[in-house]
Amino acid sequence: MSITALTASGQQIRSLNKSPRLFLNVMAWEFRRFRASRLFWSQALGLFGFFLLIMWVLHWAEGIDVVPVNGGVSGVVSLSGSVAGTSAGGLLLTLPTILIVLVLLLLFVTADGVTRDVHRRTHELLMTTALPTWAYVWGRYLAGLVMSLALALLLLVSLLGMGWLCHLTVTDYPAPEIGNLLLLWVGMVVPATILVSSVGFALSTLLPRLSTLIKAVVMLAWLVGALVIPLSMGGARAPLPPSWYVNWDPTSAITARGLLPAYAINPNPTIMNETQFQQLILSVENKVPDLAGWFAPHLGLFGASLVLVLVAALTFKRSRGTLN
Amino acid sequence: MMELTIERLSKRYGQHWALRELSLRGAPGLLGLVGPNGAGKTSLMRMIATLLEPTEGTIRWNGQDIRTHGQALRQVLGYLPQDFGIYPEFTGRQFLRYLAAMKGLPGALLNRRVAEVIEIANLEQAADRKLPTYSGGMKQRLGIAQALLNDPELLIVDEPTAGLDPAERVRFRTLLASLTSNRIVLLSTHIISDVEAVANRLVILQEGRVLSDTTPEALLAQTAGSVWSVTVDQATALQLQAAYQVSTMITQMGGITLRLVSTTRPHEAAVVVDPSLEEAYLLATGRQAVQV
Repeated sequence: MSITALTASGQQIRSLNKSPRLFLNVMAWEFRRFRASRLFWSQALGLFGFFLLIMWVLHWAEGIDVVPVNGGVSGVVSLSGSVAGTSAGGLLLTLPTILIVLVLLLLFVTADGVTRDVHRRTHELLMTTALPTWAYVWGRYLAGLVMSLALALLLLVSLLGMGWLCHLTVTDYPAPEIGNLLLLWVGMVVPATILVSSVGFALSTLLPRLSTLIKAVVMLAWLVGALVIPLSMGGARAPLPPSWYVNWDPTSAITARGLLPAYAINPNPTIMNETQFQQLILSVENKVPDLAGWFAPHLGLFGASLVLVLVAALTFKRSRGTLN
Repeated sequence: MMELTIERLSKRYGQHWALRELSLRGAPGLLGLVGPNGAGKTSLMRMIATLLEPTEGTIRWNGQDIRTHGQALRQVLGYLPQDFGIYPEFTGRQFLRYLAAMKGLPGALLNRRVAEVIEIANLEQAADRKLPTYSGGMKQRLGIAQALLNDPELLIVDEPTAGLDPAERVRFRTLLASLTSNRIVLLSTHIISDVEAVANRLVILQEGRVLSDTTPEALLAQTAGSVWSVTVDQATALQLQAAYQVSTMITQMGGITLRLVSTTRPHEAAVVVDPSLEEAYLLATGRQAVQV
């Protein structure tokens, strides 16, 4: 160590402390930390690869076999067709399940925004600076949320990419309808991303010692909502639960089911062959989904999760009652 | 103005009082805080650094209670905890730039200050290496560097020389001494020689209370005539060790030479010797340390 005089005066530093700039500093440095993290890049790359793989496996979301009532083959031979995985009808069948994987990863991206410092013991270095509490908590939350939305964007990119790849390489596979795809991404993926990121972050910040348990509980709750409840109800075309649950379901699994009756394939007597049958499926599967019933409840969940973050920010304490 | 005032400060964990009605006044200079494990040093440091809430009492910085005016203190605070974490994704320079940004240093000043503290902490060679590759001593120097980023008026360093090699320890002590002219430096340590070399004031804590608030010179003066040296056989050495505070015990060809801390002559052959600060500390705390 050498003895070097410090050139700037403390007064010079202190006169430059401005809260809004510190808030931006927190966000900017959190992005740099993400950028420098090999773990984060491998997780993102792995997730993207998984999305592509699962979309390839599910590029036909559902096969449909019907027996024409009055057709050219006298109703004896059945007709077969498939619902494209990247059509609106196909996404309503598959997206809630794919969303589970995204949600599981999101918890690890956002929930530890503040608690990571407590566990790593970098908390003490930060809390003895003049960094305002609100700038620290909101900066960490928003940086985590932006990264979560970036991961959600990867899902959109993989849907579009695989849709076009299938269209170019698979016979009869329709080109993805970008409008429908965007609508379902905005309606199902974005609210889920914001909700899970906010709830995970807020609860972990409020109860840092229980952050692992919180992640496990949120994951379990999501699995129950997105997988266990729909499976316990029967197949994809089984009767629906009460309408309030259809609209409020945060996992969108039951909500998607609420829209499926609009995508039911009812072959009319004029269908003569499989080409006509596939045309019928195409016209039905690409109908614009009606999200009107969804919008307000999902906005409400989003608002509630932001209130939870606000509570976490307001109750965040720099000092503790006990030694770590 | 630069004044730290601690009044009747207490801290309780469950039924155990870590600090009891401790009062201190800090002025520019280096205040060495020593005491046995569990004396309350770290609790006191963390309460001054606004990381821990007192159970009772007040801490004032320039007359303002830090419970309500903590931000004013944090703007002028440099803190090196006993143990701190790192971001494994960052290099040393990135870590310092990050903390400088959190302290509010703007771009140009930030880069200059980071370069300065890297030089002060002798980290030029390692500054662009990832933090997980740092040794314990390098990490400790990084901690010292970050504490100096905002040119603090109050510098709190908790066990700062742990993990440093002897040469680094000496340089660090010299660095601390050079920083005391225009700031209050609180140095908590187990290593008495660190305090002896640089502190102009010494506070001994024991069981959460101030046992002694003095200068190293005064403490040494109080101990004069209470440190003895004697060379005896092994059996006598064991008897003396059981009966008196032994500061050193050296086995030689002619027997065992003991340095004993006692207000009375411990053995007819014992002769008075000049006390070290460590022996003065032992006499004050009534504790025993043996170096063989």
